[in-house]
Amino acid sequence: MLYSAYGREGTYKYLNHFSYAFSLSKGRGEGFFLTTITTVYHNNRRIITYAIYAIGLIALLLLIVPLLGSQRPYRLVQSTVTGVLVGGVYALIALGIVVINKASGVFNFAQGWMMLLGGLVFYTFFSSASSISPLAALVLSILTGLMVITTNSWRALRNPRSLAIAAGIAAFGFIALMIGGDSLKLLRAIIGAVYGAVLTGLTIERFAIRPLIGQPLFAMVLMTLAISELLHGITQMIWGSVEIPLQVFTGLSQLGIPMPFRIQATETLGGTIIIRTELLLAFLLSLLAFAAFVGFFRYTSVGLAMRATAENQKLAQSVGLRVRTILAVAWAIAALLAAVAGVLQGGASSLSLNMPLLALSAFPAVLLGGLESIPGALLGGLIIGLVQEFANLLFPGTQAGTELAPYLVLMVVLVIRPDGLFGQRRIERI
Amino acid sequence: MKKWLLGTLAAAALVSSAPILAQDDTTLPDFIQHTACEVDLTGSEIPIQHFGDISGSYAFITQPLLAGLTDAAAYYNARGGVCGATLVQENRDTGGDLGQTQAAYDYFSGLENEPDLLVLYASGDAELLRDQLAEDEIPALLSAGSVSGLYGEDGQSPGWIYASNPLYADQFGSFCRYIGANAEQFPEPVVGYISWPGAFGESAFTAEVMSYCAEQGVTILETPEYFPPSATDITTNVQNLVDAGANILYTNSLASGPFLVAKTMVDLGLEDSVQLAGVNWALDTSVGLLSRTALGSDGLPAVNGIIGSLPFHWWSETSLPGIALISEQAAANERPLSAKNIAYLLGWALVDTYIELYARAVNEVGSLDAVDGAVMKDVIEAMDYSPLGLYHFNYDGGALRALPDNRIAVMMFANADMSGVATSGEDAMAVPLADGTTAYVPVLVPLSEFEPAPDLRPGGADVPAS
Repeated sequence: MLYSAYGREGTYKYLNHFSYAFSLSKGRGEGFFLTTITTVYHNNRRIITYAIYAIGLIALLLLIVPLLGSQRPYRLVQSTVTGVLVGGVYALIALGIVVINKASGVFNFAQGWMMLLGGLVFYTFFSSASSISPLAALVLSILTGLMVITTNSWRALRNPRSLAIAAGIAAFGFIALMIGGDSLKLLRAIIGAVYGAVLTGLTIERFAIRPLIGQPLFAMVLMTLAISELLHGITQMIWGSVEIPLQVFTGLSQLGIPMPFRIQATETLGGTIIIRTELLLAFLLSLLAFAAFVGFFRYTSVGLAMRATAENQKLAQSVGLRVRTILAVAWAIAALLAAVAGVLQGGASSLSLNMPLLALSAFPAVLLGGLESIPGALLGGLIIGLVQEFANLLFPGTQAGTELAPYLVLMVVLVIRPDGLFGQRRIERI
Repeated sequence: MKKWLLGTLAAAALVSSAPILAQDDTTLPDFIQHTACEVDLTGSEIPIQHFGDISGSYAFITQPLLAGLTDAAAYYNARGGVCGATLVQENRDTGGDLGQTQAAYDYFSGLENEPDLLVLYASGDAELLRDQLAEDEIPALLSAGSVSGLYGEDGQSPGWIYASNPLYADQFGSFCRYIGANAEQFPEPVVGYISWPGAFGESAFTAEVMSYCAEQGVTILETPEYFPPSATDITTNVQNLVDAGANILYTNSLASGPFLVAKTMVDLGLEDSVQLAGVNWALDTSVGLLSRTALGSDGLPAVNGIIGSLPFHWWSETSLPGIALISEQAAANERPLSAKNIAYLLGWALVDTYIELYARAVNEVGSLDAVDGAVMKDVIEAMDYSPLGLYHFNYDGGALRALPDNRIAVMMFANADMSGVATSGEDAMAVPLADGTTAYVPVLVPLSEFEPAPDLRPGGADVPAS
């Protein structure tokens, strides 16, 4: 408050003035003491802040180390494994949020609902072919085709070549989505989820985000909150309020893949380590997505254009970048990532209206890693996963893992690095 | 022998759609005996006003409840309604948000015709509205049971809310009593409490329950474990309890909650060494159906064998005409397997209860307009009734706020020829669902007879003297 009103120097002058006034009213001794404290703090502000946090951390370590020492080795290993794997799910969700932020500077609060929607679309086409509505498949295919060709402008509808592309996309989608037989249902579901995610991402960008280009970022952020409520309503209207077990991983056990992997380490670690196959898959997909996006943003022209757009949309537009297209691509990618996370989480537990709450756990991961950082999303997700698991292990019965520890870590990191571990440092003059 | 017999009945009830009761479309069957009406209410409407989480964590339970209310209201309306008055539903979704609960209550209590009676679903809602309902003199029927929601923090201040099941703490005590009485099956029982955080999930873990269970020879671990409904993995939570010595895990959660605990137990290879148990909602059809994605080493859903409270009569007990009627109507209304759960039964019982309550209230005060919350409260407290035979509605003249009768049951799965319960996945009845997946048919087998659950409120009659 003071800082924003007076600026850095002004704040200190204000504080000194306050302490001086205090000294007049209370006598020279106390006033001198306060002035001295203020001056010392003024001159060593950063060191004092770090020292306070260092003392806090040392105290925490002194508390934690004996607790760690009292644990059996297999529990420590198990918590590490679980933390990393659960962190992979958080990382996938965080990655979607970061992609949008990187392209538009917007923090997407609707990512959790996009996850559920993606999972439900996948489920719809994963079901038996007879239960798939040809009309729904046709509408999904045609709308996706139309949204893709009109990404930059509605005028594409007057272009025969663009219309032909749209017809191709729609025809491919419809045929693929109506493939019969259980043996191909995974392929059908993947194509359905991709079409659904692309349509979701492009629609959100076109009708909710695009009209706000050039407006304050806060308006866009609020818009994402509105979108989350809208998606809530849509999922309920179409699929109802039921909880759906997504049997996407049962095929793995039929292929002879253990569910879960069990590592017998009784002699070495004192127990058995389990690795849940579905979470391992989520983790591997996170790594794959991480590598792909690092390359995308660093080496492709679209990726570089996204970064430029995030810096300044009007400036990017003035140098000839297609801001609309770039934003649309970012939202489509984010929706795809959300769908992947939704399918994996749906398979690990179930598709339910609780799923969007999981995104709340990914929010600290995003802030921890840095809002614009792809590696930060991965690292942030893993750190939050590990912190949660170890808090659950060391402080049983306290809910510290879900309610306290991730936010404590986030607070400490933000104090030391306000832009997150890998975030871009920004200096704004007041 | 008893298990097999009941299992057979259960399986038959769940898959049969054949009409069981011969009756016409305008009169009620003989076994439904409401109080005779002294006042004709033809042309009037009686609203069943209810609000709760029908789109959030509890949707798996509350959606079938709405289905039950709808089917039952249609059935009774076609047969005369309440002394000629038509039952209509008015519901509000809170999504599990207490802010929305308050808004819904403000809406209903602010209506020109203030409600005579409300229906609530959740412990958290009951705790929030307890004082307001008393102040506004509106009684409410509830399908939940936290001590503070019904009796206040001191456990001795009955409010205006009446639960259709035993208090969750009393259910936990009831479970301990069963375990203690079956020491040969559960030697040296140590129970670890694992649940959702919040009013519902935490409501059974009380000091009174711990001391009562200790008296029954059952140790409750002092440190409970809580996990959010959106949790991806609870391996650490389960291992914490098992490492602390638990050989029984008790959960006060529903839908995905018990399923996730069971799945984790299977993953950790604890199926044979640790018993899973839970509150009455943990034995619901929804839990059995969700569990089809996680099979145990026997090939049956991971929740096979879960023990818990069953304070109502169940679908399997088709010898009861009320159950037979509901089964028939569920089939006639093409309700899917997922709707045939505890809540659907409660929906029917609730509508039947409404009819009896209003018939008595109107008889007492002479007209529908003269019925208000205070009149309804008196009627509730004086009534001794069994709605469709599903449970015993008797609040002991106003001394009780939760119906005490309870029994312990186990969830199993029907075998392929519906002659009993399955012993493995190979001989289980596998039902193809519309979404292309396969479900196993959950069957609840009572392990004990109905008896009052121990009174474990603070200062309750069965709380051991410390």
